[in-house]
Amino acid sequence: MIEARALTKRYGSALAVDSVSFTAKPYRVTGFLGPNGAGKSTTMRMLVGLARPDSGEARILGAPFVDVPNPGRHVGVLLDASASHAGRTGRETLALAALTMGLGPGAVDRALDRVGLSRKEAARRTGGYSLGMRQRLGIASALLADPSVLILDEPANGLDPSGIRWIRTLVREFADDGGTVLLSSHLLQEIDAVADDIVIMGGGRVHAHGSRAELVGEGSLEDAFFAATSGLSRDGADA
Amino acid sequence: MTALQGVRAPVLEGTRTPFLRLVRVELRKQLDTRASRWILAVIALVTLAAAALSLWILEPAGLTFRTLSDMTSAGWGMLLPVIGVLAATSEWTQRTGLQTFVLEPRRTLVNLAKLVSALLVGLAMAAATFAAAAIANLVGIAAFDGDGSWALEPTYVVGILASMAVYVAMGVGLGLSLLSTPLAIVAFIVLPIVFPTLALVPWLADIVPWVDIGGALLPIIEGSPSGEEWARFAVSAAAWCALPLAIGLWRTARREVA
Repeated sequence: MIEARALTKRYGSALAVDSVSFTAKPYRVTGFLGPNGAGKSTTMRMLVGLARPDSGEARILGAPFVDVPNPGRHVGVLLDASASHAGRTGRETLALAALTMGLGPGAVDRALDRVGLSRKEAARRTGGYSLGMRQRLGIASALLADPSVLILDEPANGLDPSGIRWIRTLVREFADDGGTVLLSSHLLQEIDAVADDIVIMGGGRVHAHGSRAELVGEGSLEDAFFAATSGLSRDGADA
Repeated sequence: MTALQGVRAPVLEGTRTPFLRLVRVELRKQLDTRASRWILAVIALVTLAAAALSLWILEPAGLTFRTLSDMTSAGWGMLLPVIGVLAATSEWTQRTGLQTFVLEPRRTLVNLAKLVSALLVGLAMAAATFAAAAIANLVGIAAFDGDGSWALEPTYVVGILASMAVYVAMGVGLGLSLLSTPLAIVAFIVLPIVFPTLALVPWLADIVPWVDIGGALLPIIEGSPSGEEWARFAVSAAAWCALPLAIGLWRTARREVA
């Protein structure tokens, strides 16, 4: 369970995130859809305590993220796959995370297997990784401790078609097992293919939020998206 | 905690990550990158070169454990703080903070773990310095007809450890407060050179001894410092270690990790 309540963040005079509220529930994949610069990443950083909201609050599993003891055990986070130490190997990157969380031996190998990184690839420094390999490494890190919540920012970026299919299957199974998934994308078809619930964001605000059936109805997600973001939409815009 | 707790699954459990585990993680991070390994290798090389050079150039009467320790410890003063700087800045410059602070949101605790682990590396370095001096002394006795005296005042050991701790804390402090590797490295290399020069300016001559950390460390290492010399050491250590650390902890606790 992820709850955002009226999250607001200002950078100077620019309002990056404007009173954003939504809920992501267990057994559901919640798609966070919006163009680049809509405020999705800033919102996600506020969810996990990397950015401080000017007002509003976020709760994960009922508590503010910073109050969750050993949060990596409960919440798997991938906000930017390119953010890894170039001089460290992929395996070492995971080993450090496993050590921090107090995981037993074998966790790293299991995570590598789960994301399809070979032992040989894991032994290389991440500076030489392709974006697709970085995404897999980041997802391995998020899955290390078998969390119940996944927060993934643009996880499909840099993945090839088979990788994109793989990540869809992965989040689907994660949610079907009772997990909560919040997954962002600026691509309609990414969200369309996997999301049960959809939060449409633009210009720092939530324009629509609901189940796929509620939002899309008889039409397409594309129609719903443009209706919501053009301001012609009927609901959700100014909650 | 709240009435809604019952419907939330799964219930949050688990214990806070113990501080010693964070120290272990930070210690490992300081030793597992290419940059840090190069620095340690260079420090080892400089120490060995200093030992070899001493055997070469010193008169046999000067080949004592104490003199050789002076020589072998001269090398790492400039390099040891780099370990602290890299530990402090890499979370921000290499952006590993995105992972680190999501796994442990108590950032001040993480930073203190960095300080403790950097001090542990410094302690190992100091031990290695004395070991290199001891080996050089043995070689001096055997091959260079050296004096070979093993006398070492306890105050000297304390002084060496104190300067190690000061340099490491300075590196971590400058790294955390400046959050830039080159800036922090330039700061601790240039400033100790600048201060003795500033002492030549008449109206600064009285102030400089209180902020020149390099100068303030000398009487501590030489042994039996006076009360005023202790006070100068305390004041300059506060200016170069405590103040940057405080600014750095404050800054990194608030800064957005992006």
